[in-house]
Amino acid sequence: MPNTNFPAKPEPPTMEPSSPRKPTLCLPVDSENKANEFHPLSSSPPHMLCFHLAWLCLFSCFISTFSIPPLVPIIRKDLNLSAADVGTAGIAAFIGAIFSRLAMGPVCDLVGPRIASATLSLLTAPFVLATAFVSSPNSFILVRFLVGFCLANFVANQFWMSSMFSSSVVGLANGVAAGWANMGAGLAQLVMPLLYSLVKSFNVPENTAWRVIFVVPAAFQALTAILVLVYGQDLPCGNYGDFKKISSRPKENFIKVFFHGVLNYRGWILGLTYGYCFGVEMTMDNVISQYFYYRFGVNLEVAGTIAACFAFTNWFARPMGGVFSDQMAKRFGIRGRLWSLWAVQTVAGLLCALLGRLDSLGGSVAVMCIFSVFVQASSGLTFGVVPFVSRRSLGVISGMTGSGGTLGAVVTQTLLFSGDKFSTQTSISLMGLMMIVCTLPVSLIYFPQWGGMFCGPKFSDESSADEDYHLLGIRSDDEEHNQDYI
Amino acid sequence: MAARGLVLASILVFSCFAQSCFGMISFSSLQRTLVVTASHRQGILKAGEDKITVTWGLNQSFPAGVDSAYKTIKIKLCYAPISQVDRAWRKTVDNLSKDKTCQFKIVARPYSNANQTFEWTIERDVPTATFFVRAYALDAQEHEVAYGQNTDAKKTTNLFEIQAISGRHVSLDIASVCFSAFSVVSLFGFFFAEKRKGRKSQQ
Repeated sequence: MPNTNFPAKPEPPTMEPSSPRKPTLCLPVDSENKANEFHPLSSSPPHMLCFHLAWLCLFSCFISTFSIPPLVPIIRKDLNLSAADVGTAGIAAFIGAIFSRLAMGPVCDLVGPRIASATLSLLTAPFVLATAFVSSPNSFILVRFLVGFCLANFVANQFWMSSMFSSSVVGLANGVAAGWANMGAGLAQLVMPLLYSLVKSFNVPENTAWRVIFVVPAAFQALTAILVLVYGQDLPCGNYGDFKKISSRPKENFIKVFFHGVLNYRGWILGLTYGYCFGVEMTMDNVISQYFYYRFGVNLEVAGTIAACFAFTNWFARPMGGVFSDQMAKRFGIRGRLWSLWAVQTVAGLLCALLGRLDSLGGSVAVMCIFSVFVQASSGLTFGVVPFVSRRSLGVISGMTGSGGTLGAVVTQTLLFSGDKFSTQTSISLMGLMMIVCTLPVSLIYFPQWGGMFCGPKFSDESSADEDYHLLGIRSDDEEHNQDYI
Repeated sequence: MAARGLVLASILVFSCFAQSCFGMISFSSLQRTLVVTASHRQGILKAGEDKITVTWGLNQSFPAGVDSAYKTIKIKLCYAPISQVDRAWRKTVDNLSKDKTCQFKIVARPYSNANQTFEWTIERDVPTATFFVRAYALDAQEHEVAYGQNTDAKKTTNLFEIQAISGRHVSLDIASVCFSAFSVVSLFGFFFAEKRKGRKSQQ
């Protein structure tokens, strides 16, 4: 049995000892050529180069998905949309992502993250451009649904990082890759209104100006996909296609692995948790610009800038969540990870509830910024727990959690932000309360060999623990163990 | 210290009242002393092309002197209730500073006793919706003091529809199709190139 480190995401196949070519690697690596160090400011091939390609590809997908919300005040005037139409479109943007994220895990296993993510980006770029064709509420909803599929690249992104980075830095790599990519939502909020003003300044009528600018996110998405295809590689030593049939492990029965993951209650709880941190973040990205535009009367560019601040904190907040999870684990083990997840997400919920009650623009912006740090850190903290749920079905658990995130966005938007039932500020406060309630189930997560929030571990001896939960990697005494229990 | 706090508190409280005394003008407090009519061609009007002729004047059945404060008349294009359904950004509220019913200015003229007329070409950025015309009489401080509209109090009569200019252009459509084709073709081109490279390296 070859040595395998724990990957944070769906596990890539291991390499044959005799690889077709010897790679020249600039970073210190482990036995599988996965990097042991993470230097975000370098672009040394293959590890750091692939990191940059991966986060840029997902970044462009976020820009595309969130290029529409800041322009909704203009689009709803042009297409005569009702509040129900706008709400339905916001929900539709995430429904496609729920299924595409679930499917992306196995696809990455089959063809590799490079081809999977580039194909998805190139095939969804035309849909982004199709926004220019939209002329009725139904076509608007359809376009948002189709463009939302590209959010599945999140799974490919995390899978790719797990293939490139060893367990000592994979949490950080995953957190930074996802966090920096999430900033795309903020950049879109900032840039799209500016592009719109720019095009309008050339005396282009309003109704044409907003259509023309979608060429920018579409072109960027296609460009990043082409860069991924040309410069990226699936594994530190090459691509999946370079190796014939890779795995020296007995092939796992896909159905067994799938059901094993689906029947694990912790996956469901984490899916719910992620739905109420990442899902809330996505919902806020959808509504925050309109909220400031409509409630406080600021103009479109200012509303976009404020909304952008919300997403830009992802630059450090999500990685910080991952790092905080790792630090708490060093001192308190899994209990530390669970407690920190519960605490940070509950504080985020309280801040969200407060945000809806504030009447001043300055206060709202300030609370929104602090709230954004906490909610994004919660996302990072959730994926600090995910690797420990199941080793065999890691891909399925990651897919469930990732899908749960978008499902949470759909549910929240349907219940609170469609139609006229509640005013937007009441909806935001209610969303905060929902976050607090839906974070409570974290206390139900219990690992027999590591314990839970309130109970200690059942097994003191690792080898007697259930093999399915066994995970390799960092223990509280700070030693890394490479063990294989399959 | 306590005295300063008291002064600050009373200033804050007073400013709140001042806001409600001087800031908030409610629509229901305005008198409907103006008579407004709007004439246009039959059918759905086109933004950017069709014209609306607005005529306004004082309702002579009111006692003399009711218009002593009127300095300016502002004519506005307003959304009819049917175009406000499920659209909170066009909502009618009594507080005029928060009211979003009338979002398009047609014309502003100094007030005169005689009837006035204005022919307005519907602006290009007017959206597709059902509208009516309202005139506000403003005093020297630019506060609304009276109004008139071409429809009844329930806003059900004399409404007219406007069709916005479509933003779609043939050139834009063609450019989008070409780009989409490029995107898909480049993907398949890449697969083809990879397969050929694979076959070559095997030979």
